[in-house]
Amino acid sequence: MLRKYIRIYLECIKISVSTAMTYRLNFLLDNFIMLVSNILFPLVTLLIYGSGAEFPNWSLYEVLLIQAVFTMSTAIANIFFGGVLWVTMRHIIEGSLEIVLIKPVNCLFYLVASTVEFGSLTLFIGGVVMFAVALSHVGPVSILMILQFIVLFLSGVCVMMGISLIMAATSFKWVGNSRLPEIFDSIKYFGRYPQNIFHKAISAVTSFIIPVAMIGYFPAAALLGEADFTAFIAILPCFVFTMGGVLLFRHMIRLYEGAGG
Amino acid sequence: MDFIARKLKVVKAVALVTYKEWSAYRTHSMVSIFVGPVYFIVQYFIWSAVYSRRTYLNGMELSEMLTYFGVTTLIGYITMDFADWNLQMLVRTGKFLTFAIRPIHHRFFALSQKIGHRILGLFFEFIPCLFIFVFIFKVDLRPASYFWTIISVALAFLMNLYMNYTIGLTAFWLVQATGVRRVYLLLQGIFSGGLIPLVFFPKALQKLLLFLPFQYVSYVPAMVYIGRYTLADVSVPIPHIVGLQAVAVIVTALFSELVYRLSMKRFSGVGA
Amino acid sequence: MAIIDVRNLTKTYCTYKRGSSFTDTLKSFFHREKIIVNAVRDVTFQVDEGQIAGILGPNGAGKSTTIKMLTGTLYPTGGQISVMGYTPFRDRSTYVNHIGAVFGQKSQLIWDIPPIDSFHMNKAIYSIPEKEFRNTLNELTGMFELEDVIEKPTRVLSLGERMKCEFVMAMLHKPKIVFLDEPTIGLDVIAKQKIRSFIKEMNRQGVTFILTTHDLEDVEQLARKVIIINHGQKVFDDTLQNLKMNLGQKKIIRLVLSKPVAEFELNGIKVIEKNSDYEYTLEVSLENNSINSVIKQLSEMCEFSDISIKELPMEKIITEIYENGLKEA
Repeated sequence: MLRKYIRIYLECIKISVSTAMTYRLNFLLDNFIMLVSNILFPLVTLLIYGSGAEFPNWSLYEVLLIQAVFTMSTAIANIFFGGVLWVTMRHIIEGSLEIVLIKPVNCLFYLVASTVEFGSLTLFIGGVVMFAVALSHVGPVSILMILQFIVLFLSGVCVMMGISLIMAATSFKWVGNSRLPEIFDSIKYFGRYPQNIFHKAISAVTSFIIPVAMIGYFPAAALLGEADFTAFIAILPCFVFTMGGVLLFRHMIRLYEGAGG
Repeated sequence: MDFIARKLKVVKAVALVTYKEWSAYRTHSMVSIFVGPVYFIVQYFIWSAVYSRRTYLNGMELSEMLTYFGVTTLIGYITMDFADWNLQMLVRTGKFLTFAIRPIHHRFFALSQKIGHRILGLFFEFIPCLFIFVFIFKVDLRPASYFWTIISVALAFLMNLYMNYTIGLTAFWLVQATGVRRVYLLLQGIFSGGLIPLVFFPKALQKLLLFLPFQYVSYVPAMVYIGRYTLADVSVPIPHIVGLQAVAVIVTALFSELVYRLSMKRFSGVGA
Repeated sequence: MAIIDVRNLTKTYCTYKRGSSFTDTLKSFFHREKIIVNAVRDVTFQVDEGQIAGILGPNGAGKSTTIKMLTGTLYPTGGQISVMGYTPFRDRSTYVNHIGAVFGQKSQLIWDIPPIDSFHMNKAIYSIPEKEFRNTLNELTGMFELEDVIEKPTRVLSLGERMKCEFVMAMLHKPKIVFLDEPTIGLDVIAKQKIRSFIKEMNRQGVTFILTTHDLEDVEQLARKVIIINHGQKVFDDTLQNLKMNLGQKKIIRLVLSKPVAEFELNGIKVIEKNSDYEYTLEVSLENNSINSVIKQLSEMCEFSDISIKELPMEKIITEIYENGLKEA
């Protein structure tokens, strides 16, 4: 069973790569635009520090580290779960979700696998470069810190997946709204900055309810040796959130099957 | 006179139709009522933190900074434009032909369309967000001068249309015109001032931006709203910068007309 | 009186060869291979006022190019066009006030709102006075029985209803000439019939129609004049009857035999279909025979229980013209 799913997934990656190769110019352009439009927010940080200002008690490279982690997470999410929303939306508008439902595989898995898309590959590389540069300026990093980082980073990726699935689930009810991602992007915005600049109530929400702080802030804090108890407590809501996304999406599919489109 | 009356009738009819057409999607516009304030909250905390140890940054106070972000968001709802996308779709599907056989300049049609679309934006984006900014966030959004602000925003409205329309015209030449469009929108996003006030950019870049059309879409109307314009250490009195903006709009309109004529020549040459 | 006068119309495209691969596109920046396409070559024809003229031709023959040049949206490379005294591509801005067009595959209606709103938009664009607009609208919607339909959003209408609304939209400003490009494409028989009778009625009121179509039924029912274009050249230009005549007098005879027959050995008779030993469809050329003598010979040759004689169908005529060109009469 598992081997079947892995085979399907590899097949989907192969198709995605060969599609990208067929439309090379477009693929490169996608990558370029994705990269540039995502380095805008570190750019704002740079401009702020360039003007001689700063976030209190945060050096430029510490802030950039948060934003590099956020960028890597965004790139991974774009590649692996970015297409679910659009394909679901299209199927619902055209009433063609049945095509997926009649396949002898898990519907959610199939939608996720078949929309793997490498348009954010350059963004990921950009994120890694930024990460490396920032990390080299923030002082020594221990093995423990790296392990903490990995755990927290993966939790952050899970949050990204949860958000993608919640968006896709929302598109069942709010048909054809192409501005849906803007709502979630605006919420993710909170994860890009040091959490102590926000009001306590806001950072409680971003840590425990819609845990976007886990996308950028907490993993970076681990590398700065500042991952406290809160960061690890926050892992739990991340998984609750992600599971919530999965269950919500499944629920919507069941409703769809019941209503027959 | 009769000519103008007829034109106004066209504007009214097309705007009304566009308004009705997009009314079905007003929940799409209403996404802004959530997104606009959320972005503003983030900006509020970012800049409050940045200003916690200083009163001035690049010649701007915190309150001005917050007004700036509120104002650029609101101006964005008025001037937002989709002429390029529309035009590209018409060219790609061959439907441009149905405009070529009607007695109307398509750019005039696009202008009328935009008026209808933005009246919708006024009701479902601008006014709700204005209320949230003013009554909930207590941002001071009284413009320095209503007169100059209205003129400057109206000019930005036209500027954005003419620039985007010109970009849309590339569809007559390029099969993959969406690439040009996306790169352009990206540049506009950065250099119009929507991201951060342009005075934050390095001086050399600021000097370049003085001569590029992007600032007239967002930065100029926002600074006119605030009542003080500076870029690359050049301070310009408000009436003068609005005058410059008007000149920029005229130049862009003329350029757009030139490209339009070339496009029509191509369209009637190969029936693209 | 000729309302459309086309002389030596020629259209040559110059396109460049475009590769699809990455290196091809890169190469094409520096060196491009020119390809010259003769879409329309030296076409001359006239259409009289109040006529319905059908322009026929296989895909890519130059029909659409010709129509586009007639509407003024495409420049000719050579030759002259005069429509109602206008030169379309030169006088486009005034000229388009007097023409209408329906493109079967390019809608003028706005998808999300009722057609009536789109009509109001065209009312403003063409500066149609309110009273005239009301009258025309009532008349046109009455003819199609669209009174309720035009209040519903376009996207919920059936294809037939939508196409009828396209016709209304194209006729609101009372154009003298209407160009129809594949107006019945994809429609069911009843909708087609409605649209044809609408065209006939408008034609009775004096509107000239230029029609391109693949549906030969359209041509048979509507067009009095037929222009056939193939490979960019005019290969036929006359009445429908003359088109049939010109191909040589041919008839289709269907026979049901009571006894099988070995072979039809008769001059000018061709078996085009044999369903069984008893059922035959024959194509008979009447160039050297009279129909009378053919039947006489047939009845001597075999015993049949049923016989029917039909005209050569349009499809056959057109195919024959496309394939063989026109026989000199």
